[in-house]
Amino acid sequence: MSFNPKFIRNFSIIAHIDHGKSTLADRILELTGTVEKREMKDQLLDSMDLERERGITIKLNAVTISYKAKDGNEYIFNLIDTPGHVDFTYEVSRSLAACEGALLVVDATQGVQAQTLANVYLAIDNDLEILPVINKVDLPSAQPEFVKDEIENRVGIDCSSACLVSAKTGLGVDEVLERIVTDIPAPSGSVDNPLQALIFDSYYDSYRGVIVMIRVKEGSVKVGDTIHLMQANKDYLVTEVGIRTPSELRTDSLSAGEVGYLAAQIKDIHDVHPGETITLRDAPAKEALPGYRRINPMVYCGLYPVDSKEYGALKDALEKLSLNDASLLWEPETSQALGFGFRCGFLGLLHMDVVQERLEREYRLNLILTAPSVIYHVKLTNGEEIAIDNPSRLPDLSTIAAIEEPYVKADIMAPKEYVGPIMELCQEKRGTYRDLVYFDDTRVILTYDLPLSEIIFDFFDRLKSYTKGYASLDYELSDYRKGELCKLDILLNGQQIDALSSIVYRPSAYHRGLAIVSRLKKIIPRQQFEVPVQAAIGGKVIARADIKSMRKDVLAKCYGGDISRKKKLLEKQKEGKKRKNAIGSVQVPQEAFMAVLSIDDDE
Amino acid sequence: MTLPKPDSLYVHIPFCTHICPYCDFAKVLYRPEWAKAYLKWLKEEAAQRDCGLFSTLFVGGGTPSALSEEELEDLLSFLSKHLKEGGEFSLEANPESLSESKIALLRKYGVNRVSLGAQSSVPASLKTLGRNHDFALVAERVRQLRDAGITNISLDWMYGFPSQSEEDLRQDIDAFLSLKVPHLSAYSLILEPGTSYAVKGVKPLSDDMQQSYFETLRDALAQEGYERYEVSNFALSGYRCRHNLTYWKDLPYIGIGVGAAGYLGESRYTNTRSLGLYLEGRYEEEVEHLDESSLLEDYFLTNLRLTEGFKESDFKQRFGFSFSSRYQERFDRLSSRGLLEQKQGSIRTTSRGLDLLDTVLLELFD
Repeated sequence: MSFNPKFIRNFSIIAHIDHGKSTLADRILELTGTVEKREMKDQLLDSMDLERERGITIKLNAVTISYKAKDGNEYIFNLIDTPGHVDFTYEVSRSLAACEGALLVVDATQGVQAQTLANVYLAIDNDLEILPVINKVDLPSAQPEFVKDEIENRVGIDCSSACLVSAKTGLGVDEVLERIVTDIPAPSGSVDNPLQALIFDSYYDSYRGVIVMIRVKEGSVKVGDTIHLMQANKDYLVTEVGIRTPSELRTDSLSAGEVGYLAAQIKDIHDVHPGETITLRDAPAKEALPGYRRINPMVYCGLYPVDSKEYGALKDALEKLSLNDASLLWEPETSQALGFGFRCGFLGLLHMDVVQERLEREYRLNLILTAPSVIYHVKLTNGEEIAIDNPSRLPDLSTIAAIEEPYVKADIMAPKEYVGPIMELCQEKRGTYRDLVYFDDTRVILTYDLPLSEIIFDFFDRLKSYTKGYASLDYELSDYRKGELCKLDILLNGQQIDALSSIVYRPSAYHRGLAIVSRLKKIIPRQQFEVPVQAAIGGKVIARADIKSMRKDVLAKCYGGDISRKKKLLEKQKEGKKRKNAIGSVQVPQEAFMAVLSIDDDE
Repeated sequence: MTLPKPDSLYVHIPFCTHICPYCDFAKVLYRPEWAKAYLKWLKEEAAQRDCGLFSTLFVGGGTPSALSEEELEDLLSFLSKHLKEGGEFSLEANPESLSESKIALLRKYGVNRVSLGAQSSVPASLKTLGRNHDFALVAERVRQLRDAGITNISLDWMYGFPSQSEEDLRQDIDAFLSLKVPHLSAYSLILEPGTSYAVKGVKPLSDDMQQSYFETLRDALAQEGYERYEVSNFALSGYRCRHNLTYWKDLPYIGIGVGAAGYLGESRYTNTRSLGLYLEGRYEEEVEHLDESSLLEDYFLTNLRLTEGFKESDFKQRFGFSFSSRYQERFDRLSSRGLLEQKQGSIRTTSRGLDLLDTVLLELFD
């Protein structure tokens, strides 16, 4: 028993951060009666607190909506949400592959942004029907005609009948619902073909194992079927299928054209990757769905508990987080400076931030993060090739034939008056100029090849400040290239601190070394003795700053009435001291380990 | 572990004719009706705390000299009955509220040590500190006290406050030394929360500056024969403040009055800082019972402020085990850093250790 695909519409919403994606989704849920207004938390689709706080969607969600259209028919809408950040491009592409159409939401006061553009192109690559929606038309500064022109001229999508809406007030949203019916194609595919279902998301449930979100492209799947994951080459017995409305509703089966969830006692989320194809073991499809890619973390950093007693708790927390996050990789590592911890791999900096915050907030852990690093490919003189995700593990220079680093193709969109500063920044960041195209009369897209390591090293913040916040950035990994690189070590009080090592571009090593030592000098509080901070390459010191010794640390007055209070103050200080990290005899605060990253321009 | 009975009494007089912007002691502006009631309750508290005879009495404030002659006589005549033969009887005074007739009262009732709030000799500095006397008046009061036979005089002295120049400091050093009083207390400005300075966001000189000012001051005093016997206190031979030594030797004492604290060996009490409550007889606010680790902390916190430190034999007698049996490792660490030393059976801070006392204490605390 399945719903006639003629009446199914599967779509995503593509929008830049703050352009109103979540608000529009909320209005759609509300207008279709999917969620009662009083049950609405603001922006329901972003269900994690963190997502709501940051106004971004990190995990994908999908919801099934029933809609009675003006033609008298009952339609099923499957709204598949996409994360709106450059870290998650692949996931976005897999969600889009689950759809036949996409709403392109553009803020009428701001126009198209680079991020949006990147996702629109992903949608076009996936042959999606794109329905332009101009949002925030109620604002006085709205320029809907201008934005329509922009979309037409630059993205190449007909905007003559774009929907003009205000997701906030609900204006025009009913029109959007009708247009979804009329403009977005019904899914093709046949129930009679062998099963091909696309996994676009998954999450862990402690009772049922991994729940996968699927879009059935061909055939059907029901409880009791033995399914086969074509990439992972694993079989599972289906225990439950259903749809999310948004609460889970069990169904007997899911058929071609439908979107829903499936549980099959899958224990490990790392076995289920987005883009994976599910088929039936006993009646398999000939081939997997196209577009699958094994995604690998791009950014690595060390995660250490401030208090070594929390090592076990950190491990538990990472285990729990990775139940729901297949892109989070981690393995134990040991640092001389920081003790026992983990090297963790992330899709990007945002992903790293999110994981850190969740560990600190939800698991109440006190963490030290080392500065993020990319993966370097190191060719040794003996012909061996190794991958380095932790700068301190870089072998001795004399054994290295070459170091290769990852490059990205970066598209930066900005008003044309900022081209100069952006080019300057990209040059400084070792970028290779590729292209400059005028997006419209006022904006350009600059394309550069840039080392990924330069992007994680305060690129985005500076781009924003150079362009007064107007630039947007999109990038994807392109290739590995040989670089003039070396390891920069940091010594505190003569002792090399492994957690502070970084791999840097050799010609700027001196400048970088100087910046790091002066930054550390500011961050590390005075100790009872003078502490030299040195930057060194291959044992040769290239920069030095001295943290002067503390000269005074005593309360001038301590008479009878002061003793109790004084003691309490000292006890508090003692507690605070325990939370700092002592390296040798030097107390090093947490932020010092990020110092290699956050360096001000003037340093 | 048994300590002697308290042999020292602190009496707090919370009244001032003027509130200094850095002071965080319990104090209120002087009003005669409050002062009268206050003295009544003070005697009441003394009775309830079972005050007998003491070797040291210390009347502090606030500004005890802000009391009227009549009130002062009332207070001193009462207190003098609690002083043992040969005891030390100290009183804090401000140059502007002291007078020849009040000095006569001090002499009459046996006050034999006076601590004068001089603070600075530089007019601009005094203004910064919100004080409205000049140094000539300080000199005048010193002379008057001596004339009355009170020669054990101490001056309170402040340094490291905003806008103090090195030249100002030198001028103060010359002025303070010129009076040749046997005792000096030199304090760096501390910004206590809630004081007018703290509220206004006044910044004292940097720690480095304060420290270098202090070293200048300390060395100048040493040349004139003043011995630094406590973090901020300097005395000519034989003129250490016996009362304050009670605190720093961690010996028991009784305190009465608003905001006063007492230490009875096993517990500490702190009185309310509220004059209103005190005048209703509800003087005690908090009692802290001390366990061994607390007693040890207090012992170090106080004794290590003294340049002579503490005798290991005293420590053992007090706690029943030797210092080295529990603290050897920590002592070694501190000693290797040049902060703590062992000399002639005593444990004491080095000069640098005294400057970094909090660091030393943090290491010793469990």
